[in-house]
Amino acid sequence: MRTNNVVGVTGMGIVSAIGDSLASFSDSLKRGTSGIRHNESAARPKPSVNIVSAIRDFVFLEKLGKLKNIPEEKLTKAKRLGLRAPFVIQTSILSALQAWEQASLFDNPPLASRIALIIAGQNSTQNHQYGLISAFRENPEYLSPRYALEFLETNQVGVLSELFGIEGEGLVVGGASATGNVGLIKGHQLVESGMVDLCLVVGVVAELSPLDIQGFINIGAMGGKAYIDKATEACRPFDTNHEGFIYGQASAAIIIEATSSSSLRNVLPLAEIGGGIIVLDGNSSANPSKNGELKAMTGALLKARLSVTDIDYINTHGSSSPLGDKTEAAAILKLLGAHTPNVWLNATKGLTGHCLYSAGMVEAIATILQMKEGFLHPNKNLNEPIDKKLKFCGDKFVKYKVKAALSTSFGFGGINTCIVIKRGNF
Amino acid sequence: MSKEYVFEAVKKVILEVLPHVEPEIITIDKQLKDVGANSIDRMEIVTMSMQALELKLSLMSFAGVSNIEGLVDVLEETLAKKEID
Repeated sequence: MRTNNVVGVTGMGIVSAIGDSLASFSDSLKRGTSGIRHNESAARPKPSVNIVSAIRDFVFLEKLGKLKNIPEEKLTKAKRLGLRAPFVIQTSILSALQAWEQASLFDNPPLASRIALIIAGQNSTQNHQYGLISAFRENPEYLSPRYALEFLETNQVGVLSELFGIEGEGLVVGGASATGNVGLIKGHQLVESGMVDLCLVVGVVAELSPLDIQGFINIGAMGGKAYIDKATEACRPFDTNHEGFIYGQASAAIIIEATSSSSLRNVLPLAEIGGGIIVLDGNSSANPSKNGELKAMTGALLKARLSVTDIDYINTHGSSSPLGDKTEAAAILKLLGAHTPNVWLNATKGLTGHCLYSAGMVEAIATILQMKEGFLHPNKNLNEPIDKKLKFCGDKFVKYKVKAALSTSFGFGGINTCIVIKRGNF
Repeated sequence: MSKEYVFEAVKKVILEVLPHVEPEIITIDKQLKDVGANSIDRMEIVTMSMQALELKLSLMSFAGVSNIEGLVDVLEETLAKKEID
């Protein structure tokens, strides 16, 4: 369905390893500050690679207290819903509150039935469950009755809809490492089609259990093995010495809203979402496909009614995986052709690690912050690019005003996604 | 173990489940919903109270309970039986 609705982003929020507000996250992007470090984890057994861009020293009430301009009644509600909730829920509450505040939605929001909620996340309670297993084996009778609510991914839908009074559609979407983009694409569709005025999309923290981490190591996807004593060098998207992805944590929230709705509150969008698409390879395995990635990028451009030459920046998937980076570089070269020298590229995962379910959301936020503030963040550890034709940012930030960007995310199971973000005429 | 001891254990659990509640308002004659506990909170308070007192009872044992005192009584009786055994 194609309508004339212009769809903007009116609010964003983030809790990550390199910033728990848009300002601190943006500052880290500019400085090229990475959150990737050796992780002192109490988890047992210890994963054989323990390099993570983790959200560290997290205390829910402290973070809640730092948020500005949140009405007292909402703070009380957030405390009640979040105080005893799992870490993943707490971070979702914090990023969503930031986004809601930036979009000025505490006063005069659209009708509750015209607001949708999409949780972009899957398997987010894995580590919570892993932590309960040994006590459960001893005394199953003492398992908290709350567990039956909490192990369901839709608990996020319940908590956030109660916090914000959302009564439109509410759902959970998954797409492996492309989950964040899947959420943004479905949210865009809901708003563009006119089914709702506004959609809150929340990308949830991937809180991996030791089991999940070992699984990623054993399948050969997670890097860090050659960098055990050099954690800060482990994540190197598009560098010849890349070795695999480095795991990161972030919760990210984005308000997607029709400009016909935001204009009623005199709120100017931060950027415009041109749209995006999801394309499958028909592949149950982990390997990427140049053709699938190309189809996602060309399809997203078509959806946004743009041509390749309108694009001047790509926020790459760039996961630091040798096969992934190589495949993506080839797909981008094929897409851009003669336009290649005009398009800047960087990989946010070099700073944030691979935030898995929320990665696409984190990267959309990074794209919009760069667009708004006129810079492009450095590429960490990109000493010898695997391709010399592509215009990668170097180790310092670049002053540049992006006009139109692509942001790509690709996931296991042949899931290819791409979204278009434009500065827009606001 | 006295009834007061069991009540104190239950009260501690209530405050853990409902941290915003003022301790003074939790009196033994009240119903859990009077102190702000919803249905999930109430089930959690029962489970956590059992755990605090190292008791294992089926949730059916609490079927006739209508207030905090009823809960304390069931727990205390079971505790007393356990001590005799």
